[in-house]
Amino acid sequence: MFETNITLQQFLDGIQDTLYMVGMSLLVGTIIGAILGIILVVTQRGGIIPVPILYAVLNPIINLIRSVPFIILIVAIMPFTRQLVGTAIGTTAAIVPLIIYITPFIARLVENSLLEVGSGIIEAAESMGATPLQIIRYFLLPEAFGSLILSLTTATISLIGATAMAGAVGGGGIGDIAIIYGYQRYDNFAMISTVIILVIFVQVIQSTGNKLARLIRRS
Amino acid sequence: MIELQDIHKVYEKKKSEVHALKGINLKIDKGDIFGVIGYSGAGKSTLVRLVNYLERPTKGDVIVDGKYLAKQSAKALRQIKKEIGMIFQHFNLLESKTIFQNVAMPLILSKRSKQEIKQRVTELLDFVGLKDKASHYPNELSGGQKQRVGIARALASNPKILLCDEATSALDPQTTQSILDLLKRVNEKYGITILLITHEMSVIQKICNKVAVMEQGEIIEQGSVLEVFGHPKHKTTKNFVQTVVKTELPEKIKQRLTDKGIDRLLKLEMVGTEAMPPILVQLIRDDQIQITIEFMDMTEIQDTNLAIWYLHFDGEESKREKVIANLEQHGVRIEEVSVGV
Repeated sequence: MFETNITLQQFLDGIQDTLYMVGMSLLVGTIIGAILGIILVVTQRGGIIPVPILYAVLNPIINLIRSVPFIILIVAIMPFTRQLVGTAIGTTAAIVPLIIYITPFIARLVENSLLEVGSGIIEAAESMGATPLQIIRYFLLPEAFGSLILSLTTATISLIGATAMAGAVGGGGIGDIAIIYGYQRYDNFAMISTVIILVIFVQVIQSTGNKLARLIRRS
Repeated sequence: MIELQDIHKVYEKKKSEVHALKGINLKIDKGDIFGVIGYSGAGKSTLVRLVNYLERPTKGDVIVDGKYLAKQSAKALRQIKKEIGMIFQHFNLLESKTIFQNVAMPLILSKRSKQEIKQRVTELLDFVGLKDKASHYPNELSGGQKQRVGIARALASNPKILLCDEATSALDPQTTQSILDLLKRVNEKYGITILLITHEMSVIQKICNKVAVMEQGEIIEQGSVLEVFGHPKHKTTKNFVQTVVKTELPEKIKQRLTDKGIDRLLKLEMVGTEAMPPILVQLIRDDQIQITIEFMDMTEIQDTNLAIWYLHFDGEESKREKVIANLEQHGVRIEEVSVGV
């Protein structure tokens, strides 16, 4: 049962690839997603810089991208990926659809976190004569910080799931090992160990996120 | 200091319009503690938010410290807002920041120096009695302490006006008293004009010098607190006044008087520090008038008392006129009332 064709080095490479894909797409996705999320919150009707038209355009676009399943997204944007990074195959190429997948998701999560900040806080900020940018910086973001950390934890875990599918474009990573060796070559050891590694990943990320959020929220 | 001129506010809902304020006229002088009282939905929250333009009027002018708010640029308006502090029913403190940081916020927004901020915040925390809580977080404080932080924060930028939006409504009576004392000190020490809204007449009684009563988007009565408490005209005002001052005869006494066949009473009212006007004592002693005090009530308002007596006059009619004239001359308000159960 524990006969396997897979080497330790392959595992380590897989872990490294997964971390690389998750890290890069999380970084870029968070930056763009957070900006989009903030725009969604402040531009909607009753927001601190209401631009209902911008909201009306941005909102359905985000919904549209989010409704495309990741595996289809990978294939659908291959020409765009090739243009951008020179190839549509490999770990770096997989980052492009990962970013496009995770950015609207993060935007939505950030929007929800920021909307949790009570209208009273915003009112207090406005009564102090804070500019819209000051409201975002000194009131919205700090008050939502704990919730934002939890949102990013959720996004990270989604990304780990998505990287497994990146195997479809030769993305590499832990998920790729599970599919190629575990599934296609009936290598049970590879299958079980990749699952264990993924479970550990998710557990560590979730509990770290929870701990951080609790620390920030001081409850 | 604050002037509202013929203010109308209409909220457009999907299919209906809500007329929240209907022609409000109000003038608040420098140094006033002006109270606006009304039941929920009367429009008082909207009214207080007009003063710092958190709400814009549909029609009418808001003039603060001589400036027409409608004519100000966004930037100028923010500057004006810095001269108007505001405290809230639910405090609206930043849960993620320490008490120090909360109080410092208006100064941070104005980009003051670290040293100046530290000095000012320490001074304010000392003033509100929370010097030892500087490094605590809001969720470690009681409601009353949170409101003290709110007050310190509102004072940070040296405002000329303080707006209080139901500032004591979430607090117990004892805490309410201590917050009201603090507001009074704010008014006296810094000369800050205070506009407060409340649904508790006792709040008005304890600290306000002027009051306006609101109902369904209109001011139905306004004047000095002594005037309004002594002579409420409108039914709603009477209801509010009744919650703290017994200006009307209690039902049981009315019943007893009717049983005795007494219908006509003299209602005396006087503002002062004595429980009984010296003139009345003198009349009883020198003119030998015979009276029965059927009911009396004395309420502390601001630094004086509002005393009300219901007397039954037992003497001859000839003396009656003289007594009334004499009392009126000495500043006692007299009214003939019928018990009429």
